[in-house]
Amino acid sequence: MAELKVYKSTAFTYAGLLIASSIFFAPLVFVVSIALSSDQTVSTGSFSLIPTEFRWDNFVRIFQTQQPVGNFVLNSVIISVLSAVGQVFSSALVGYAFARLRARGKNITFMIVLATMMIPAQITMIPQFILFKELGWINTFLPLIIPNFFGNAYNIFLIRQFVTRLPLEMDEAAMVDGLGYFGIFRRIVLPMMTPVLIAIAIFTLTWTWGDFMGPLIYLNEDTKMPLALGVQLLTSTSQELQTPPWNLVMVGTVFLSLPMIIIYYFGQKYMYEMNLSTGSAGVK
Amino acid sequence: MTTLQQKTPVPAAEPKQGAIPPKLKARPSSMRRKEARFFWLFISPWIIGFVVFLLGPMLASVYLSFTDWDSFTDPNWVGVANYVRLLTEDEVFHKSLWNTFYFAFFSVPLGMAIALWLAALLNKKMRARKIFRTLVYLPHLVPIVAVALIFQMILAPDAGPLNRVLAVFGIDGPAWLFDSEWVKPAIILLSLWQAGGATVLLLAGMKGIPQEFYEAAEIDGASSVRQFWSITFPQLTPIIFFNLIMGIIGAFQVFAQVYILTQGGPDNASQMVVPLLFSEAFRNYHMGYASAISWLLFLIVMALTVVAFVTSRKWVFYETEVKN
Repeated sequence: MAELKVYKSTAFTYAGLLIASSIFFAPLVFVVSIALSSDQTVSTGSFSLIPTEFRWDNFVRIFQTQQPVGNFVLNSVIISVLSAVGQVFSSALVGYAFARLRARGKNITFMIVLATMMIPAQITMIPQFILFKELGWINTFLPLIIPNFFGNAYNIFLIRQFVTRLPLEMDEAAMVDGLGYFGIFRRIVLPMMTPVLIAIAIFTLTWTWGDFMGPLIYLNEDTKMPLALGVQLLTSTSQELQTPPWNLVMVGTVFLSLPMIIIYYFGQKYMYEMNLSTGSAGVK
Repeated sequence: MTTLQQKTPVPAAEPKQGAIPPKLKARPSSMRRKEARFFWLFISPWIIGFVVFLLGPMLASVYLSFTDWDSFTDPNWVGVANYVRLLTEDEVFHKSLWNTFYFAFFSVPLGMAIALWLAALLNKKMRARKIFRTLVYLPHLVPIVAVALIFQMILAPDAGPLNRVLAVFGIDGPAWLFDSEWVKPAIILLSLWQAGGATVLLLAGMKGIPQEFYEAAEIDGASSVRQFWSITFPQLTPIIFFNLIMGIIGAFQVFAQVYILTQGGPDNASQMVVPLLFSEAFRNYHMGYASAISWLLFLIVMALTVVAFVTSRKWVFYETEVKN
């Protein structure tokens, strides 16, 4: 009797999971199926869930549309890589100081750092736009990249939590050997920080790669747009009510999503460890 | 927050205090001053960023919210007129506020319920668990712009996959994004597709629940449903609470979906606060008015967060907390 109950509950679990995961996964199957469809199939709407044709040339044709898709991809890479570099170095420096150095006013300063997390970006959006406009940075990558070189409250918090848990003996030995604070930071603490720095690089890469509003505010020339902003231009058609070239649009979403999935696959170990070791489980 | 004001917030936070060797403790104060100088030097990037990109803009934003400004001529002081107009006259703003509440009210709890249900299923010992977990989590990794485009395709009125599936069951699917009745549910649907993101966290939380609780419940003859509500759910409330707060904040800032899919239409049926703010600021150049919207948004989100914190005492369970 008890065994029967177990079987029944296992069957329910499998059935539930099968249904749920198919619903979650179906849209992605459609993406692949449509990305591989011919123009004709797409315009007549005769595509299906399971791909029936494999037009791999769509992945080349997307670079030959009126939209500079090659530029989009390159711009995305430049913006997100430089942003990640900026975040890693600035947050490492600041996070280290909050974890290891003593000064009057440190605690209150750290509270201000934490408090800034509560200010939504929309509040500062307009004055920042004016600032960058005055600097002549509109239609350049600078407004999207430069702010990342000044640290970010959440990353600083992560690093500080991580460094406070590192052993202090090496720092002290280095101090006795006459290494200065900057030397200790660069030679001793920075190498030990690698896991948290990788996690921060991943967070920043994913966030910048997918960011839509920033590029929308600051970039207005097609050739300067990152993929997240440019890809939607593919849906524009010469005539109204004409069906967008869905096959190419879906290739675009593959280009936008696949790097994130790959980064997650290789980086999940670091992100998972980070959540556990800093006690900040649940924060992306 | 009050604990943060004490000198040592958490034991782990200040490891130096306990760990300083005696000889370092007796360092001359010039060493301490040098250490402090280095502290300020090291955090100077954050200080500069804070002043230039946050504090300065925040003060400017407060000022601008009391002006009428097109960003080309000089700002014109109008007092509280922007706020008065927003609160009493601007029907589009009221509608966008209503729509945003509607979106948050359904997308946040439903998303959480789905994530919890999936986590409960995935927490059982079974084959292919990892595959199921990946399938459920994948949508969460897709950038929101791609999600919007994918759903633009899926929700297409005639050829779209969703309406074709509905047609199989004899249901005549609505025009979704083009129908003022269905556009909000459509945008909610889009956010629910990414609900699996929280599942991984909930699963991690479930792993931390002591097995003895379940063994004891088993002996008492509690059903698995009863075990879920009496053990699993209370133990997970801190994670659920965290996700609730983040979910509310995120829902009120919804932007890309609306901007790409509907531009707030049809007939403002899907207009939300941030897309409205964006178009006031960067399409109509009503910088002062848009600044006032941003502060109202901030106040609403803050109020909701406070409400969530206050009510959390009634339902969030902290193991180490002593209640009186």
